[in-house]
Amino acid sequence: MLNGLMKKFFNKSGSKETAKKRLQFALVYDRLEVSEDTLTDMQNEIVAVISRYFVIDREKLKLDITRRNDLSALVFNTPIISAKARRRMA
Amino acid sequence: MQGKIIVISSGKGGVGKTTATASIGAALAMEGKKVVVVDMDIGLRNLDVVMGLENRIVFNIVDVARTKCKVRQAAIKSRRIENLFLIPASQSDNKDALTPQDMIRISKTLRNEFDFILMDCPAGIERGFENAVAAADEAVVVCTPEVSSIRDADRVIGLLYAKEIPSKLLVNRIVPTMVKRGEMLSHEDVVDVLSIDLVGLVEADDQVVVSTNSGIPIVMQDDSKAGQAFKRIALRLNGQPELPIEVPGVSKSFWKKIGSKIGFGK
Repeated sequence: MLNGLMKKFFNKSGSKETAKKRLQFALVYDRLEVSEDTLTDMQNEIVAVISRYFVIDREKLKLDITRRNDLSALVFNTPIISAKARRRMA
Repeated sequence: MQGKIIVISSGKGGVGKTTATASIGAALAMEGKKVVVVDMDIGLRNLDVVMGLENRIVFNIVDVARTKCKVRQAAIKSRRIENLFLIPASQSDNKDALTPQDMIRISKTLRNEFDFILMDCPAGIERGFENAVAAADEAVVVCTPEVSSIRDADRVIGLLYAKEIPSKLLVNRIVPTMVKRGEMLSHEDVVDVLSIDLVGLVEADDQVVVSTNSGIPIVMQDDSKAGQAFKRIALRLNGQPELPIEVPGVSKSFWKKIGSKIGFGK
């Protein structure tokens, strides 16, 4: 029964999707050595700003830290569904 | 020609470093290379039992560092495989018995006498790790498809990167049926999370336990999936980096195509 419930919660993809998401976030914190709250706040603010201009797929957001040539790059990846009408421009 | 030093590391314990070291070492020796595997887990040695050489130990790596003996005296010859040697760890000292400088010094002799030197790194990222990576040219980072292991692997990859030691990933103990059900991270997921190149994928294989019980290298068993995977990893480390990565547990013809595409891409 518990198994069935778990399946319902983490539906379709199985527990590995949960594992992957948790890992990706844990590694971002590890690599940056910043707190989870800071990153969550930052992500929310970025999403808020982007959402003003674009309709985005919030389910597929991806925040990642890559290390290249002694630099850490923060990569924020989001599928854009469409542009929003630019009412403010007028 | 100078030998190459490869450190087998992981961060987390119990993911199969020692088995990987023994297996890859044995496979390289079977390819005709002169190989020494060095147990760097001072105080908790195990590579000797895994290789079935525990009752032949006279000297160890700490004795070599303290110049109580020569490298040749400490290197135990394998009974089963030609050109395969083991330098055991000391069981009575702790990690501070060695320093990275000791290892750099010893490595000069090792490079002159062997084609491949495999360092079996202890778990953790403290002194034992520092000693094991001190003279390394390359690293193989071992992880299993589990969150704790992958997180620790990421830490180790970062440390190796800072030391400018190129590293590749070995994903161990893959259970294909669980991956298929979506209940275990696939190797693609692991690579995606860690952003690192693969050196090989090893399926979970009961034969590994049997092989460790008897001290007979898994690569000597032709019917062992893990053994065959380790053989292919050895080939990749021995000048064939393009050899396609085989994905455990799926129909061969299909994956061979994909594998060769991946191999071609690199």
